[in-house]
Amino acid sequence: MRIILIHSIRFVLFVLLQALVFNQLEVGLGIHPMVYPLFIMLLPFNTNPVLLLVLAFGMGLSIDVLSNTGGLHASSLLAFALFRPLIFKAFSPRDGYDPTKEGSIYEMGQRWFLYSFGTLLLIHHLWFFFMEVFKFSELLYVARKLLFTLPVSYLLVILLQFLFLKRNKS
Amino acid sequence: MRNLIAFLRRFQIFLVFAILQVIALSFYFSFFYYPRSQYLTTTATVNAKIWEARNAVTKQLKLSHTNTELQKSNAELMKKLPQSFMRIDEDLVKINDTVYRQQYEYISAEVINSTVEKRNNYFTINVGSIHGVERGLGVISDNGVVGVVHRCSEHYSIVKSVLTENINISVVIEDMGLYGLLKWDGLDPRRGSVAGISNDLHIKKWSKVVTREGTGIFPKGIMVGKVEKLKNVEGEAFWDVSILFSEDYRKLQRVYVVKNLLATEQQKLEQLIPQDPKE
Repeated sequence: MRIILIHSIRFVLFVLLQALVFNQLEVGLGIHPMVYPLFIMLLPFNTNPVLLLVLAFGMGLSIDVLSNTGGLHASSLLAFALFRPLIFKAFSPRDGYDPTKEGSIYEMGQRWFLYSFGTLLLIHHLWFFFMEVFKFSELLYVARKLLFTLPVSYLLVILLQFLFLKRNKS
Repeated sequence: MRNLIAFLRRFQIFLVFAILQVIALSFYFSFFYYPRSQYLTTTATVNAKIWEARNAVTKQLKLSHTNTELQKSNAELMKKLPQSFMRIDEDLVKINDTVYRQQYEYISAEVINSTVEKRNNYFTINVGSIHGVERGLGVISDNGVVGVVHRCSEHYSIVKSVLTENINISVVIEDMGLYGLLKWDGLDPRRGSVAGISNDLHIKKWSKVVTREGTGIFPKGIMVGKVEKLKNVEGEAFWDVSILFSEDYRKLQRVYVVKNLLATEQQKLEQLIPQDPKE
């Protein structure tokens, strides 16, 4: 019960954070940081993949409605949610995942987080920028946006975890 | 039948993904290509209320900038008041003037939501159909063109800004009178380009680029920017003219919607142009 409450609060916070803060930032160089995939990342390891997709769709669409992007965020977050179980399986620790833990940088370690979240974020951003342009002729533009945005998003996600997640002393 | 169920169960995840993906993408593309649907955008009332609340906070930050801009345009307008003209010839009496007729009306508005980092950027403004805004009207600010109204609800409208791929506003390079179309490459919100100018013509740097009256969306001579760089397009007979926008779209706050009172007249007349059967 407690876990549902925590994740619902996170859902709302991430939507507002992305739509009201990060979508409004104008950093220059075509940087468009996106941090909301962290919500899907932090859902419990044993979450049903279908529920994962539904939550991703709901979250993406809420952000879309608030920022006039139609269904762009929803579409790319769905890709993130689809690949999450596969990537998690690929980078699984030797004894499998402990269902009481969550996929944060504290509980799973930096290396694991870099590999799994990095890959998923790459998929998400690639999907997002490609769908935004939707032309093969502008691949260079997509590559440029990806190159600048991906590190910024990743660093922001790490920063958010340092700021708001409780450190586990174990 | 059992096979079918087994199959569905096996691909359940992917099926859900595919269905939701189709829904999301159809929202996205219908937003772009069929601007008739009203749902799921910032023109929806509840949604726009959130943005208005946010804007109420953030507009204070830009207050001094906005003030200077307003003051500037006030000064400009005061110059045009009858009081600021001196009577030269005492014999002439002004009779009711029928030579001029008002062609453009301006509706002032405030930008309550905007982006500049996307490939196609839309601004939300706080006037709508009850204020007389319609799809296709031009939007300008004190410093330059802003865009064209993309769709509107009762109290809000979305503006397709200059910072979109296919804005194609008809512009003219002032001193030389060369016509071209305004484009944006999606990278720098301060710079755009003008396409369609033949490269056998010489263009002076820093000459002004202004709107052309042609389509009747914008009044003549609204500032767009200044020519910054000329580049040859490989294999084509056109310049790639890079321009520096006169308006900084990142701090845009107050805008005016331009309403052309004679637009229907012009459109009606232009419908009479015979279509070329070869096209």
